Amino acid sequence: MDNLLNIFIKSAFVENMVLSYFIGMCSFLAVSKTVKTAIGLGAAVIFVLALTVPINWIISELVLGPNGIFKTDLTFLRFILFIASIAASVQLVEMAVEKYSPSLYNALGIFLPLITVNCAILGAALFMVARSYNFSESVVYGVGSGIGWALAIVAMAAIREKIRYSDVPAPLRGLGITFILTGLMGLAFMALMGINPAKYM
Amino acid sequence: MYSNRYITIYTLIMTLIVAIGLALAVIGLKPFHDAAEAVYKKRDLLGSIKDQLGQDLDKMSDEQVLDLFNKNVEQVVINAEGTPVDGVSAESIDLAVEERKPEAERRYPIFVYKGEKGKVYLMAVRGNGLWDKIWAYVAMKDDMNTIVGTSFGHAAETPGLGAEIKDNPNFGKQFVGKKIFTNEGDYVSVKVIKGGAKDPEHEVDGISGATITSVGVSDMMQTGLAVYLPYLESQKK
Amino acid sequence: MAEVLEKKESAELFGKKERKLLSDPMNDDNPITVQILGVCSALAVTSMVKPALIMAVAVTLVTGFSNLVISLMRKGIPKQIRMIVQLVVIAFLVTIVEQVLKAYNYPVWKQLSVFIGLIITNCIVMGRLEAYAMGNPPWRSFLDGLGNGAGYGAILIALAVIREFFGRGAIAGFKIIGPTDEFLVNTSSSWLLSWYQPNGLMVLPTSAIFLVGIIIWIQRSRNRKLIDIS
Repeated sequence: MDNLLNIFIKSAFVENMVLSYFIGMCSFLAVSKTVKTAIGLGAAVIFVLALTVPINWIISELVLGPNGIFKTDLTFLRFILFIASIAASVQLVEMAVEKYSPSLYNALGIFLPLITVNCAILGAALFMVARSYNFSESVVYGVGSGIGWALAIVAMAAIREKIRYSDVPAPLRGLGITFILTGLMGLAFMALMGINPAKYM
Repeated sequence: MYSNRYITIYTLIMTLIVAIGLALAVIGLKPFHDAAEAVYKKRDLLGSIKDQLGQDLDKMSDEQVLDLFNKNVEQVVINAEGTPVDGVSAESIDLAVEERKPEAERRYPIFVYKGEKGKVYLMAVRGNGLWDKIWAYVAMKDDMNTIVGTSFGHAAETPGLGAEIKDNPNFGKQFVGKKIFTNEGDYVSVKVIKGGAKDPEHEVDGISGATITSVGVSDMMQTGLAVYLPYLESQKK
Repeated sequence: MAEVLEKKESAELFGKKERKLLSDPMNDDNPITVQILGVCSALAVTSMVKPALIMAVAVTLVTGFSNLVISLMRKGIPKQIRMIVQLVVIAFLVTIVEQVLKAYNYPVWKQLSVFIGLIITNCIVMGRLEAYAMGNPPWRSFLDGLGNGAGYGAILIALAVIREFFGRGAIAGFKIIGPTDEFLVNTSSSWLLSWYQPNGLMVLPTSAIFLVGIIIWIQRSRNRKLIDIS
């Protein structure tokens, strides 16, 4: 239990996908203009990460691994199967949401296809393999890193809404200042490094 | 719009082409992968005893490394009680896998290097750094007490701070000549001390700004080497 | 007669338009600083020149060849599964690049680890497929892919040179400036260059973000039409 909580806190805060690895930056920069859309995309990312990381765990352990159903090392198929499973689950989620909750679909709909090519989704799956998590750990890791990503993009959107009223040098406006802000947020998040929640329990 | 039949056939053909292409590429490159991995591991191992080799490791070709390793290194695997296990090569032991097993079932690798300057025992240790795992090979002289070399590695320590245990050769060099037993014969291992080592035999300097990695190295040297003690004891006689 | 024919052919291979495809992404249409594509993996691998160089080559090859392949297939791809087809082609190429790198340079492969895989979701590759290769002939698509890959690589290498020089006092592993022995005591052999104290911030991934911001600032100050008016 300690271990799971530790992984959760680490993935959401200490090793935040965007702010300490700078993964998933493309949509982070493009969709962080207003808080409302940022919340929509953030929620969609949490959902998709919580779904795809465990699915990819199953693929990588039970299908590709040497102890899987084929009893051979098929890890070279990892990239293709991961990205295919991500694309397929995003598509399924999109269809399910469209059918059962049109209001949620209207809120999330346009972001869902974008998520397939969000580096954070594939990145989380690859990190999960690199750190050899087990199944329950990978579920927690998926949810945790999704929450971390959503947190970062919402915070960034809030700052960008405010900075519109500031006197930023013209050539730095828009993209440039967003980069600098991301860097500053990354530095702030570095203050969290070394926190080991398991120690305090 | 394309018909469903067209899409199905298209997908099948594409999957087939991709799968065959990848399988061929992997089968073709497999021998190169295995060779590269073997050399990488052996260079890492021998890196901890650079000054015992009598030649410059960085300038040696891959064949020379393999040749040196095969001729001069003997592999031993011990179980949790410290007794040697037959039928397993030390190279096949991965501490990352072992640490997930219950403590009593773990096995540990030892590499014995026979050089011109006598026997050297190389032991693998593994511990926790700041972000992720850290590990090292520790080389010990045949008095089973004096360290003659180390080579550190890490999964994700901070570059410039914790990562210096690997990137800065001077960190590892500090361990050379340190002893893991006191004169009275008590096991103390080697500690990493922040702000300057005092005991010249059992302490080394930590890295400023990387306290948790330094503490991690300290703990790793303490608990990691402890499992080899029964074996070292048995070799002394 | 033969000469004229040859000239005509080379004009088709490397005409004005084709050269533009290669050179634009280097400057006014740079994927990172102008199109904001492919920032993700750009930052984590640029603390030293060597991995950045290999990453740049890998990305250039993948963008070039995926553009070529998709452009060749573009008339037969069913609309409904377009995205998956593109992703499979990219993932296939990335796996090949990864396997070759693993065989050819194992230490760098280990160092780049997950970032090789992340080329798949590097928005540059997908972005160029959608924006260019789906509607243009193979040769031009190939050049467009190479150009964009190289533009991306140029930024990557520039970042890596700056970060390694100021963060470690070295370029591509060769020590140039700063104490040769920064860990315990300063024992530099050359007094002329030993005064420099390496900047620890430059080694952290955060510095890459700041540097990209500054590069954008410089580029937009020199080229006013790129300024974001929103």
